[in-house]
Amino acid sequence: MNKGLVGRLRTALGLSESRKRHAPSFELLFRRFRDVLESNNRAIEVITDMGEKLGGDYLFDIVYVENAYAQLSDELTHSMQRFNLLTENRYPVLHSVYDRIDTQIREMIYGSPPGQDRMVVFLSDTTRDMVHTVGGKFASLAEVKNSLSLRVPEAFVITTRAFDTFISSQNLTLLVESLDNGTGVKEPVLDEVRDLIVHATIPQELEEALHSALENLKTKCGEHCFLAVRSSAEDEDGESSFAGQFETVLNVPLELRALEDAYRKVVASLFSHQSVNYQKQLGYRIGKLKMAVGCMVMVDALASGVIYSTSPNEDTDTLLINATWGLGKAIVEGQTDGDFYKVKKGVLPELVEVKKGKKERMIVTLAEGGTDTIRTPETMAGKSCLAGENVQELSRIGMILEGHFERPQDIEWAIDRDERIYVVQSRPLMIEQKDWSEPTTPVSLKDIGPPLMSHKGIAVQKGVGVGRVFILRHADEIGNVPRGAVLVSRYDSSSFVRIMPYLAAIVTDVGTPTSHMASLCREFRIPTIVNTGKATEILSHGQAVTVTVGDEGDTVVYEGAVRGLENRADRHSERIEQVYEFRKKRYILRYIVPLNLIDPSIDQFLPERCKTLHDVLRFIHEKSVMELVDKARYGNAMIKEHAAVKLELPVPAGIIVIDIGGGLNSTAGSEHASFEQIASLPLRAVIKGMIHPGVWHADAVSMKVNDFLSSMIRVPEIAFQRNDYVGYNVAVASAEYTNLNLKFGYHFTVIDCYCSETARNNHLYFRFMGGATDITKRSRRVQLIAEILKGYGLTIETKGDLIIGRIGNMRRDAMEAILEQMGRLLAYTRQLDAVMHDDFAVERYVRNFLKGNYEL
Amino acid sequence: MDRYRIMVIDDEKIVGDMAKISLEQDGYEVETFLNPAPALSRLQETKFDVVVTDYKMKGIDGMEVLKTVKTLYPDTKVIMITAFANLDTAIEALRGDVHDFFPKPVRIKELKASIRRALGIQ
Repeated sequence: MNKGLVGRLRTALGLSESRKRHAPSFELLFRRFRDVLESNNRAIEVITDMGEKLGGDYLFDIVYVENAYAQLSDELTHSMQRFNLLTENRYPVLHSVYDRIDTQIREMIYGSPPGQDRMVVFLSDTTRDMVHTVGGKFASLAEVKNSLSLRVPEAFVITTRAFDTFISSQNLTLLVESLDNGTGVKEPVLDEVRDLIVHATIPQELEEALHSALENLKTKCGEHCFLAVRSSAEDEDGESSFAGQFETVLNVPLELRALEDAYRKVVASLFSHQSVNYQKQLGYRIGKLKMAVGCMVMVDALASGVIYSTSPNEDTDTLLINATWGLGKAIVEGQTDGDFYKVKKGVLPELVEVKKGKKERMIVTLAEGGTDTIRTPETMAGKSCLAGENVQELSRIGMILEGHFERPQDIEWAIDRDERIYVVQSRPLMIEQKDWSEPTTPVSLKDIGPPLMSHKGIAVQKGVGVGRVFILRHADEIGNVPRGAVLVSRYDSSSFVRIMPYLAAIVTDVGTPTSHMASLCREFRIPTIVNTGKATEILSHGQAVTVTVGDEGDTVVYEGAVRGLENRADRHSERIEQVYEFRKKRYILRYIVPLNLIDPSIDQFLPERCKTLHDVLRFIHEKSVMELVDKARYGNAMIKEHAAVKLELPVPAGIIVIDIGGGLNSTAGSEHASFEQIASLPLRAVIKGMIHPGVWHADAVSMKVNDFLSSMIRVPEIAFQRNDYVGYNVAVASAEYTNLNLKFGYHFTVIDCYCSETARNNHLYFRFMGGATDITKRSRRVQLIAEILKGYGLTIETKGDLIIGRIGNMRRDAMEAILEQMGRLLAYTRQLDAVMHDDFAVERYVRNFLKGNYEL
Repeated sequence: MDRYRIMVIDDEKIVGDMAKISLEQDGYEVETFLNPAPALSRLQETKFDVVVTDYKMKGIDGMEVLKTVKTLYPDTKVIMITAFANLDTAIEALRGDVHDFFPKPVRIKELKASIRRALGIQ
């Protein structure tokens, strides 16, 4: 038994004998890693090409779309095969996720839109482009459920095809079509239509479909759930909200007759006087609009309400939440005052104002079906409906939906007795936008002064953006960027996606046109320039500018709002968007280009979360990197099988290099190599930093109480004996890769970096842990390292005295610069926690380090 | 002065629709056809200054369109676009006095420039 336990433990730690015996060599793993990168790159190239060709600037036909997709799916298949080899098939789910996305895309390219011929479609089988089948409201909800994975109650939709069948079976078609014969709609005819609908027989085909949908729902949710039966007209919740125009029947039992009654009521409301007037105002031809009807399982709601993801008439960086006890109908119909929460949007939403409502009445469901308005029990009336966490989660839901749908949303939600929040509707919020995009009096073309910046950087997305400059110093400030701003940042980051729909333009100092951010910019069509070198210095915070990116990749930034330019550039894309066939073809990009898997440090970084092929590629890349990080940590074990070479450096860093191909320029059999002989780009850059004059302090700093530990801080002179490397610093290196495991005293650092001419391949993973001093001083050092690395654009995650930093998609020169600084930082901070006596020290040492002052 | 008239023939609706909306923006009068037969009948009635045609279509192909156009109106310029570009088709088209030849996807800006050259306007 003991052996079993130990065996399991060893397996868990990656130390099992059998694994060791069969494990492929690191060289082989590395080759597989490079194979994955290669296929991924080719796939990204196809994605970029599709984004460009389907962007509105090219005439293309279906042959192009078919060929490009065939190539893309070939590359992805290769990439996944190689990834499987590398990870020993550890992510089988990724395959089913890929198959699902692939099927969706193929259906769009080759087949008719799914569901077009069906009477009833479940929400899980619905996509956003099925608006003419399931109506606008439920097409949006399907997107919320299927693409964003937010909680939405189970639902099915009685389609527009069912509507057509229903209307024609009653011989109503002619009557309905006669409603608008140019002479105005006659009220008695409307009354007659409604009466006929309410008393109509449901056609057999539809009845069968409803019966089977109900049975299906019973198996999913049990016999005792109820339905909310709601309208979902073709254009509802699109450009026109139709809010409150149609009937909703709440708490309908899962019985065929009850459902049919509710269906007839909702359909009849399409012909109510009020709704017909509304349709006329919007310019609809009466009788032309088709109605789908959604049947959604009722949430046993403790409280419900509405989120306005951007508060109307106020700062665009706040959102509003309204909440009341019981069903939200009380709020949307204005029957109760409700609680009111105003929240400042940001990574951590911040509650800025609460107004508690009296909530004297509430709407509750009845056991036999239907609802009732009752007096709110005294224990609840006047009490706040939401806890702090609920407000946080609702705010996040608001921000996610606004980001996804690229405009402010009016969201209905409900929270059940287990505090699970459900989204039951999300539609565009019709408000006037205040923003930073109207900065100054427009400058006319002839008055343009000399450009602030001209022909600097690389064009990513053409177009013209006018707005005020927001200089982003830290990724954490992203929540403060106002709507319509021109975002100017040192580094590029896919985390900008959250605010992208609202930006006028993006300009970065460092970056590549193939980064994730670049793909996102193309998707959102944000005029973008990367790698300008000095935009954060040339442009100033708050300055009004016009960013222009021309067809030929020419980039110019002017001072002021140069209006003429903007209009010229926008006209073409706006008009092309009017071409229905174009919008339809372009739609497949939604399943290819957007990137949802952004932050590998969070729990949601799972294959199940991949919504697009870009996500699949992202997942493969990240997990391939982690595979290397993980395997290379057995560097000490590798020494036995490989030629190991000790680096002779001016500082006693004690590093042994295992060359897996092109890492060193040393003569074969040599046991030593000098700094000049390091051929590995990333390793050379780190070591260059470590031996930078003044950063490596030879003497151990006095550690007061912990003096006994000081000896541990010193790196001992290495006794260079083959079997005696345990605890030494090991670098696995090839020409373009290194995995460096450093142990300075009690600090453990891992740097895993691929640094090549292809920016997209490059990654840097950094992990730092431990320290010899007490936890306070240690965490000060963590803070210092995190601050400095954040400044270099790394995404940082800290937990106690552990730091994990990541960055990718970076040009070789920029990556080398970061690695060199990292080398300096590691040398400099070896003993720093011993002297970090107070919190001010963090700031002081950060400042010193950035100035190149390495005094302790 | 009358506007220049451009005919676009492509059996995929998206090509004609996108070309029409883009070219009309520059002030041209544009007619689009999914099928070459009615396009050729239309040419019997009216002269167009430029004909943009797909190379490979069902029934009548781009080369036939070129021949008919050149017989009817020797000075009308023909621009050919094709998804199946190879050197042979390009040579064949150029021998047939095609003004320009583009593989699809074709950049709208380049097509516009080619039309301007065909019309002798800058």
